[in-house]
Amino acid sequence: MSDPSVITSSEAPNTDVPTDPGGPLKTDKPRSLAGDAWRDLRRNWIFWAASVLVLIILLMAIWPTLFTSADPRSCALSRQYDGPSGSAYFGYNFQGCDTFARTIHGARASIQIAVVATLLSGLIALVIGMSSGYFGRWVDAILSRFIDVVLGIPFLLAAIVLAKRLSADPQNNGVWAVTVTLGVLGWTTAARIMRSSVISAKNQDYVAAARMLGAGPGRLMLRHILPNSAAPFVVVLTILLGINIASEATLSFLGVGLKGNAISWGISIAEASPYVRTAAAPLVWPSVFLAVTVLAFIMLGDAIRDAFDPKLR
Amino acid sequence: MLGKSPLKMAVGATAIALFVAGCSGGGSDEPEATSNTVIIGIGEPQHLLPSNTTESSGAQVLAALYYPLVNFDAQNNPFLVAAESIESPDNKVWTVKLKPGFTFHNGEPVTADSYINAWNHGAYGPNGNGGAYFFERIEGYADLQSTDPDEDGPQEAPEPKAKTLSGLKKVDDTTFTVTLSAPFSGWESVMGYTTFYPLPNAAFSSPGVLAEGFEEAPIGNGPFKMKGKWEHDSQIVVEKFAEFKGDPVKVDGITYKIYQDQKAEYADLVAGNVDVQTQIPIESLGTAPADLGDRFKKSPSSSFAFVGFPTFQPEFSKVEVRKAISMATNRQEMTDQIFLGSQTPATSFVSPVVAGYRDNSCGEACTFNAAAAKDMYTKAGGPAEIKITYNADGGHKAWVDAMCNQLIANLGIKCTGVGEPKFADLLTKVEKKEPVGLIRLGWIMDYPLMENYLGPLYGTNGSSNYYGYSNKEFDKLVAEGSAAGTPEEAIQKWQQAEDILAAEMPVIPLRHGQNVFGHSQKVTNVVVDAQARVDIFKIEVAS
Amino acid sequence: MFRYFVRRLLQMVLTFFGATFIVYALMFANQDDPLQALAGERPLPENQRQALTELYHLNEPFIVQYGYYMQGLLTGDFGRSLTGRQIGDMMADAWPVTIKLALMAIVIGATFAVTTGVISGIRRGGPFDTSTLVFTLVLLALPIVVLAPLAQLIFGIKFQWFPATAGRDATFFQLLLPAIVLGSLVVATELRVTRASVAENLRSDYVRTARAKGLSRRRVIGVHVLRNSLIPVVTLIGVDLGGLMSGAIVTEGVFNIPGVGFNLFRGIRTEDGPLVVGFVSILTIVFLVSNLIVDLLYAALDPRIRYE
Repeated sequence: MSDPSVITSSEAPNTDVPTDPGGPLKTDKPRSLAGDAWRDLRRNWIFWAASVLVLIILLMAIWPTLFTSADPRSCALSRQYDGPSGSAYFGYNFQGCDTFARTIHGARASIQIAVVATLLSGLIALVIGMSSGYFGRWVDAILSRFIDVVLGIPFLLAAIVLAKRLSADPQNNGVWAVTVTLGVLGWTTAARIMRSSVISAKNQDYVAAARMLGAGPGRLMLRHILPNSAAPFVVVLTILLGINIASEATLSFLGVGLKGNAISWGISIAEASPYVRTAAAPLVWPSVFLAVTVLAFIMLGDAIRDAFDPKLR
Repeated sequence: MLGKSPLKMAVGATAIALFVAGCSGGGSDEPEATSNTVIIGIGEPQHLLPSNTTESSGAQVLAALYYPLVNFDAQNNPFLVAAESIESPDNKVWTVKLKPGFTFHNGEPVTADSYINAWNHGAYGPNGNGGAYFFERIEGYADLQSTDPDEDGPQEAPEPKAKTLSGLKKVDDTTFTVTLSAPFSGWESVMGYTTFYPLPNAAFSSPGVLAEGFEEAPIGNGPFKMKGKWEHDSQIVVEKFAEFKGDPVKVDGITYKIYQDQKAEYADLVAGNVDVQTQIPIESLGTAPADLGDRFKKSPSSSFAFVGFPTFQPEFSKVEVRKAISMATNRQEMTDQIFLGSQTPATSFVSPVVAGYRDNSCGEACTFNAAAAKDMYTKAGGPAEIKITYNADGGHKAWVDAMCNQLIANLGIKCTGVGEPKFADLLTKVEKKEPVGLIRLGWIMDYPLMENYLGPLYGTNGSSNYYGYSNKEFDKLVAEGSAAGTPEEAIQKWQQAEDILAAEMPVIPLRHGQNVFGHSQKVTNVVVDAQARVDIFKIEVAS
Repeated sequence: MFRYFVRRLLQMVLTFFGATFIVYALMFANQDDPLQALAGERPLPENQRQALTELYHLNEPFIVQYGYYMQGLLTGDFGRSLTGRQIGDMMADAWPVTIKLALMAIVIGATFAVTTGVISGIRRGGPFDTSTLVFTLVLLALPIVVLAPLAQLIFGIKFQWFPATAGRDATFFQLLLPAIVLGSLVVATELRVTRASVAENLRSDYVRTARAKGLSRRRVIGVHVLRNSLIPVVTLIGVDLGGLMSGAIVTEGVFNIPGVGFNLFRGIRTEDGPLVVGFVSILTIVFLVSNLIVDLLYAALDPRIRYE
């Protein structure tokens, strides 16, 4: 990532400022926030780079055999820690499985769990955080104390109980159980953040102005407060994405996560961790994939947030 | 409210936090480097009461505080220690004569009553001692137990019929007799276990009732006495007991440092903060030879790992299927590459530490032969898909996955390792007769006799026979061995019983454990016995 | 303000009981056979099962068990762990070292995160910003089970700058390395959030106004930007503090610190209901108090926020 271009892109909207005021006056219909955002995004190379990365990762998750023809479950101790070769680009791991094949095939479970669980958490956090921050008073009292209760419950305990119940059926592979478990338990921090942003945003002048113009609570929250308070919230969610990939492995290792011979980045990382002093490659590669995935989503989140940020206009 | 500048606030908060943190810091008590004491790493003991101690950390500490009736030599044969003589004409009535002159740490003399009171307390059901089953063979044990009339229901169990074992009789101050309900030739060995230590009168607040807090600072008859109290999750310090009359010890004191994590203990071993680690974790084995050099050692241990075939699953009912799975398992590869040589391949049904062990008593069925295995498996019509169920909290995933991979490659079947959160979850599934497939199991002996493997693991009513194996002929031979007149006769019967196991393969023996231990440069003569305890009589500080 | 404070205290009492009830219920739901869990793989002798079942009321229905527990709690008795120890004693052993460790970790982690976050927020897109992004990604991708032993190996054993392990009566210095490792857990989120807030506030109207008034850059950033950016950051710190106390399982294990995380983990693993609920009850108070302080800080940081 070269620095000058980053600076240009982040400053790019500013250079547009002079033309902007003139724009809406001349068009017939008023320009929407989303329309503006899209115009900005189209010109932002970070957005395109992140989108391409995300697409590749999604493709890997949906169609792993496109990237590798090796069987990730074909393992033999005789190949333990064998180095990289023409067929196994990253070499073999502790169990003598093809590290490359396992990393590619691990994408599906990891991405599904990370993305869906994060979205679920985000949705819960958005609703609870916004309502408690916006309405205040007894709504805030109830919702905030509810957050406190959930914070106090040890993650491990709740996860074990929840995942055990959800994955009682021995036939399913446990991916959905883990997704729901992580989604239902991971929203507290994001909700507290959302609440704090809303509390500080709702006292701003433009909110008061909009309220005086007769905007209802729904419109106020979605059109005025949300765009101005989403920044820290989006950041917390992108990081949560990475944390969820790792948390899945924790559950799997406690025997309540993915079942049987499931493959995921989290499991690969956790399996390779103890032996990192003997062989680092089986740990490094899935970690790199995890980092790149999180990076892609951080970039995407940054770009979209910038595009939607009214302060840049 | 607070300072105007957020920076000032941050600085203030930092200062407060560091002040709080720093202030409450306790003084460090570094042991002097020149002192004649050693530090041994252990886990947090569950209990420090002899009759309630069935795990190695507690047993390790109690071995310093107490002096057993018999101890075991390198071949695991018993020799007399606190007892002057142990004799029995018929293997049923045993007369124990104590060496005179021994006292507890509080000055009380050790008498026959010290043993009788301790054992009665240990065996009494409502006391809930984990080691009570050791007293099962003593006459009258059943009268000390009571059964709950409605299992887990609200009714409370009635009080047992008796409070004392009818099989224990005091002859004089230093002599007592133990009457067993059936003859047992190995009883002398059994009495060497932790559960059979004596207790002083100070241990009881009234007859049969343990004094509150006794476990926090147990008073024993051994070479070391407690220095202070049991500092839970931190350490237990013992110092030499000057009036001790038994074998001399070579150090002045031992600090048992408690670790939650063996990896942390290993880090301290390498850094020189702990002198002995009895079990080096498998993650550190790769680098241990380089880290420790000739201070990295191995000795045999009694642990035995195997997988069992649940008898309620018909697909494993053919002996050929069981044998083929065993033959398709490459034990050597598993111990070398998964356990990095810390365990050895098992080809027998008992551990090498007990007398009567024969190498490869399992024969061809435990010899790796992929081609023959596949042939046999196909002919017998073995299942196309099998599972191996294990408990996820015990670090078994790696070898179960490896074993599955071997079976996939060698038998051409599907195999999955299924992790249950805890061993109790695994047991629940087995009790419900769910199709768990092969179940991972292990055993550590209570006393060094073949019978301690054969009875609990393969006997029809064996306490750890979770898979339901039952063979009348086998049960009969084990019982005959137990009642035999001499150890030699007993071993002969037990070996015949083991041969039945080799023919029927109710389980697949996989690995024998080893103590993979290390010590610091400060100590020498470190010996770790078959029950993973450091020999406190031999260890000394290097000059 | 004072009424708000009193109201929050009253809510706390209710929340406290709610939390302990839920955790007790969760423990009960997770309980298959705590006595077998205690015995591990050894067969559990029948006599022991009976004795312990009655001692801990394990055969009673859930609500009765909870009743027994609350009865004890209200008289200041946290009850006994399944291992027979007084839970009050266990907490007195575990909490001090954990509080020390968590405070040190949060101070180290937050100081680092906020400082670097502010700088990369100001120099958004610059080389410093890019390197903090890479650093965050490394922290995210490197699991604590690798980071903690690695730090111990390098700084504790190879260079011997720090003691390899800490123990329960650890000094400030002994806890430094574990605190740095633990603090790294919160760095990623706090750093990114600080950066995002600062970058956003730099573009707000009042900053433009302040700049236009000719205020020095130092003052604009130090007073106007930082103050307004800190609201989400202190929110995070408030939540992280409790999280570090309960979630330091790996760090506590690696550095042999018998603290709260370890006790919670042990309690959950052995299905030890009273033990877990005891620790959680204190933990809930930590969360309630730290979130109250955070809420009060909002008003201090942003004068427009008022509590009536």
